[in-house]
Amino acid sequence: MADVTTTAGLGPGPTASRRAVRGPRWLSQVTKFARRRTLGFAGGVVVVLMLLLAVFAPIVSPYDPEESSFLDQLKPPSREHLLGTDQFGRDVMSRLIYGAQTALVVGFGASVAGCSAGAILGLVGAYKGGKTDLLLERLNDVILSFPLIILAVAVVAALGTGLLNVIIAITIPIIPRVARVIRSSGLTLRQMQYVEAARALGVSDTRIIFRHLMPNVVAPYLILLSAFLGQAILLESSLSFLGLGVAEPKPAWGLMLRGAGVQFLEQAPWLAIAPGVAISAAVFAFNLLGDSLRDAFDPKLRV
Amino acid sequence: MQGYIVSRILLMIPTLLGVAIITFILLRMVPGDVVQLKLAGDGGNVAAEVIQAERARLGLDKPLLAQFFDWIWGAVRFDFGLSMWTGRPIIQEVLIRLELSVQLTIMATLIATVLALPLGILAAVKRDTWIDYAVRIFSIAGLAIPSFWLGIVLILVLLIAFQYSPPLSFTPFFKDPVENLSQLIWPALAVGYRYSAVATRMTRSTLLEVMREDYVRTARAKGLRESLVVVRHALRNAFLPVVTVIGLEFAFLLGGLLVTEQVFNLNGIGKLMVEAVLRRDYTMTQALILLVASVFVLVNFLVDLLYVWLDPRVSYR
Repeated sequence: MADVTTTAGLGPGPTASRRAVRGPRWLSQVTKFARRRTLGFAGGVVVVLMLLLAVFAPIVSPYDPEESSFLDQLKPPSREHLLGTDQFGRDVMSRLIYGAQTALVVGFGASVAGCSAGAILGLVGAYKGGKTDLLLERLNDVILSFPLIILAVAVVAALGTGLLNVIIAITIPIIPRVARVIRSSGLTLRQMQYVEAARALGVSDTRIIFRHLMPNVVAPYLILLSAFLGQAILLESSLSFLGLGVAEPKPAWGLMLRGAGVQFLEQAPWLAIAPGVAISAAVFAFNLLGDSLRDAFDPKLRV
Repeated sequence: MQGYIVSRILLMIPTLLGVAIITFILLRMVPGDVVQLKLAGDGGNVAAEVIQAERARLGLDKPLLAQFFDWIWGAVRFDFGLSMWTGRPIIQEVLIRLELSVQLTIMATLIATVLALPLGILAAVKRDTWIDYAVRIFSIAGLAIPSFWLGIVLILVLLIAFQYSPPLSFTPFFKDPVENLSQLIWPALAVGYRYSAVATRMTRSTLLEVMREDYVRTARAKGLRESLVVVRHALRNAFLPVVTVIGLEFAFLLGGLLVTEQVFNLNGIGKLMVEAVLRRDYTMTQALILLVASVFVLVNFLVDLLYVWLDPRVSYR
């Protein structure tokens, strides 16, 4: 994620910084981004923090997230268990930290896969035009008439639960949404002279799409990616909450809210608070980052 | 105009047919079927003949293509058959729950609109002030906080502060409006807040765009009060995208209540859908998805027609 924050500093505006900042170039760009887009920078910081937590989970987390202890069931927050324990006596803090892994793997997996497939389909439709375009557009219409969550639920129902299937279930609804946006950029790109030149030179369609069109939609691609990251994390938590996502005992935020969060609401309200705060903070951070990336690169883009 | 309406209605057919095909294929990919789940689910050993007979009764032994055409032919005549799980007519099962879901959808949309319009206008008018920032944070938070968690927190607050917990059984509005509203207001708030976020952002950004137009400058130049400029000149023109967003949200909500209904233990369409999926109740799931998709496509169409009425510049040939 660190590289996304740095590329964000490359946005439009005066490239020559009035103040000479010591240190490498990327650092000065990060500080510029921080000054100009404080909210987006704050989002970026949270994202980086979350990434670090997920990567170093085995070191940071105080307990094994899947280890249950019958002596410690439903303990309120204390010095030993900062966020208390759940109904199996598992440490909530550790499950929260490991839950970040699940959220990020699903979030990145689904949004990278969905945005990439969407971008390719969008460009193919825009470049080829005619019947191919019409067919792809109709297919998009069909998939878009499923509400996001319902399509995801249907896909999970078909494939079964589990990490990979959840990623696939979240990828599919993202594809047409990305394809639509990228297609519209592709339509203008197709008119460009360098595309015409490439075609006149006899360059193959595949090569034109990947080498000539693709690099020109990197900005909207990155913006869409960051926008759908938050949505994917949210969708993952909803699916897990419904029991259609990641399965116990694997720690996932939505799963922590399922059952325990509702069942022991009166007895153990801490179970319902921490995972919800984690989901909200993560999605909030990704949205802030995505918003300021959009403002910096392409304010007209509607996601 | 009439030609446009007819062609739009005709275009709905391939879209919905596509939805039907995808749903049908997706569901048939699931390992195991309703019969296995129902009969063999309790670990009891059921004779293979009994399972076969049950499959035959439900028509699951026919070739897939035949099953599909049977279903489509029924759906065209609004006959969705029987639920494979309960054995009752699907129309009946859906109608019992539709009232609750539709009411909740309407309430959530109302809450979303009532929140979004003033907030969006305020943020646009007071652009780049702390008010604008506060509204933006409020709306981004609305997108980030899962509505089911907001629901849980609401229940928790009610429980701790007022020792109140939402009743378990649904009271229809016309039987006891107070009881009904006091039950549904909380899920409606939880969902409405989330959906207000999108509309708030849309209101803000379109209003900002419109405020740069020449006619707004003219209105100001002739000395009109700022509030009138905003309400009469800018807002009316900023309304189109906002109406779209609200319309689409309304359509999405009907299916999107899935998770919230679960939290508040409401027996609506969403809950029915989750149960149907988990029970491999093909006929029920198919019917529900088709219902939600049809509502979506229909609302989409109505929103486009609304454009013509709202904005004389828009016309469809």
